[in-house]
Amino acid sequence: MAQKTAAKKSKKMTSVLPQALWRKIGSNYLLTNDSGHHAWLKEKDFALVTAGGMTELHPLFAELAVKGFIRNRLDFNDLAAKWKKKNAYLNYGPGLHILVMTLRCNHKCLYCQSSAAGVGDKKTDMNLATARKSVDFAFNSPNPGITIEFQGGEPLLNWEVLKGAVEYARKRSGTAGKELKLALVSNFSLMTEEKADFLLKNEVSLCTSLDGPKNLHDKNRICSSGNSHSDTVKWIKYFQKRCKKQVPEYRVFKPSALLTVSKYSLPRHKEIIDEYVRLGLEDIFVRPLAPIGYARKLWGTIGYDAADFAKFYLKSLDYMLKLNRRGVVIREKMATMMLDKIVNLQDPGYLDARCPCGAAIGQIAYNHNGDLYTCDEGRMVGWEGDDIFRIGNVFKDSYKKVMTDPVTKVCVVSSNLEAQPACARCAYKPYCGVCPVYNYEVQGSLWGNIPSNDRCGLFKGILDTLFTLLKSPGNAEILNKWVTK
Amino acid sequence: MGDKMKTSLPEKKLILDNGIYCPEAVKLAAFVFSGRAAVKIKPGKGVSQVLIGARSADLTAAEFMNEVLNQQCRIDLAKKNSKIAGIIVTKALLSAAGKKG
Repeated sequence: MAQKTAAKKSKKMTSVLPQALWRKIGSNYLLTNDSGHHAWLKEKDFALVTAGGMTELHPLFAELAVKGFIRNRLDFNDLAAKWKKKNAYLNYGPGLHILVMTLRCNHKCLYCQSSAAGVGDKKTDMNLATARKSVDFAFNSPNPGITIEFQGGEPLLNWEVLKGAVEYARKRSGTAGKELKLALVSNFSLMTEEKADFLLKNEVSLCTSLDGPKNLHDKNRICSSGNSHSDTVKWIKYFQKRCKKQVPEYRVFKPSALLTVSKYSLPRHKEIIDEYVRLGLEDIFVRPLAPIGYARKLWGTIGYDAADFAKFYLKSLDYMLKLNRRGVVIREKMATMMLDKIVNLQDPGYLDARCPCGAAIGQIAYNHNGDLYTCDEGRMVGWEGDDIFRIGNVFKDSYKKVMTDPVTKVCVVSSNLEAQPACARCAYKPYCGVCPVYNYEVQGSLWGNIPSNDRCGLFKGILDTLFTLLKSPGNAEILNKWVTK
Repeated sequence: MGDKMKTSLPEKKLILDNGIYCPEAVKLAAFVFSGRAAVKIKPGKGVSQVLIGARSADLTAAEFMNEVLNQQCRIDLAKKNSKIAGIIVTKALLSAAGKKG
């Protein structure tokens, strides 16, 4: 009798958790949930699960139960702990503080989102008082880790103020009890040994733009000398060399580079990746172009749609996996950040793909005049004449006022995926995020219309690619290594 | 509702059943479209009458309908999800302001 009851119990039917999300990819279903777990189901198993017909004898039952997909087998403490870890950013304030040292630039890049001013236009330089006040403002954030990123225009055009801001921030961190990271984003064309020494001694991490081989890079990134690529490569090599040498007094970080994919990049994925490998760069961020600011006006010439980018992204990832199999160390940054969420169920700090997005509560952009914006993209919209994303000024407004500004609130509310109809039911909700600035620029409202939103198409394409690759054990082994801590 | 707007633009008239699209959704959609079309709304018996004036009135009207649907779905979702959505927003804003949520 007891045996009979046990057998009866083990055949008991169970139903899938109502909050489970799914997406059909090819002939299979991808199941996800808010804790970040995922599982693949064949069509017949998916039908069984959704009809509440899966029994404990089914080979997938144990896996689905552990991952929180079986209603009467939920371990709430475990699932809640995973949700909390994945959304840890909800406990901190802005960690990224972008200081725009100047809007001047010696480049005229085809897609320039910073909509730079001419080299002689010094009225768009940040002065030292504003830089110091901005640093003070950044330290008001309750976030225990602060990153101050110096950007432009070309920040090296305002070297003395940049130098002063670095020194002040280092001094300030000594008493603030916060971890401080400093970063510089520069085209390196104005770099000198003296500047490099100063930056390295102050542990400033260095990031540049590299769009691929010379003819492609120089086509995208036009500069008066015509040698943008040569300058960039020269200094990447220099910083690589300094990193290899290391000294006991300070840490020298590996230089990194950002790729912006224009229409001209689409047929050249191999050459671009090979260029990164040739220069010893181990990470490549295959970033789609956004139709924001200056790029919006040129979208017909340099832009592309989500489907074209998805193809490019898949080809790029395929090629990188091939190189990895040969022992070459090269990772794709977007994939790495998404995989951190998918594989490790943790927040990689990617402000563009989280819920709510990082606008104001994850990052703040400080314009040259002390004006504060929700993010750098919001600042670019301001530079085009629409200050909708301005949240205050370092001299006039307190930190608290900025964090409770209506613009801050509306960005948080509108980028909450639980309030976005298409996102709330999307299988990629646990890994994705929307951008109010993109929505506003492209679709005319902060909320956007997600089913017809090309950014949504881009993220879906990227996540489709990653999940499909993860199904193959060979690819999964490599991809998992990318996020092994 | 007058059948014509005082614009020289081609026009398209839409009649929306309030049982499917509430007036709030229609107004929100009209606001989103205010920069690219002339939109006039008039309440009727159980319906909202919308007159759209735009260079390509048919296409704009179709896009307007998509936006009304988007707004309606958002309103419907808010009724179901407002608690969890509210918790997330409150937590994020309070933490950022330095208060314990």
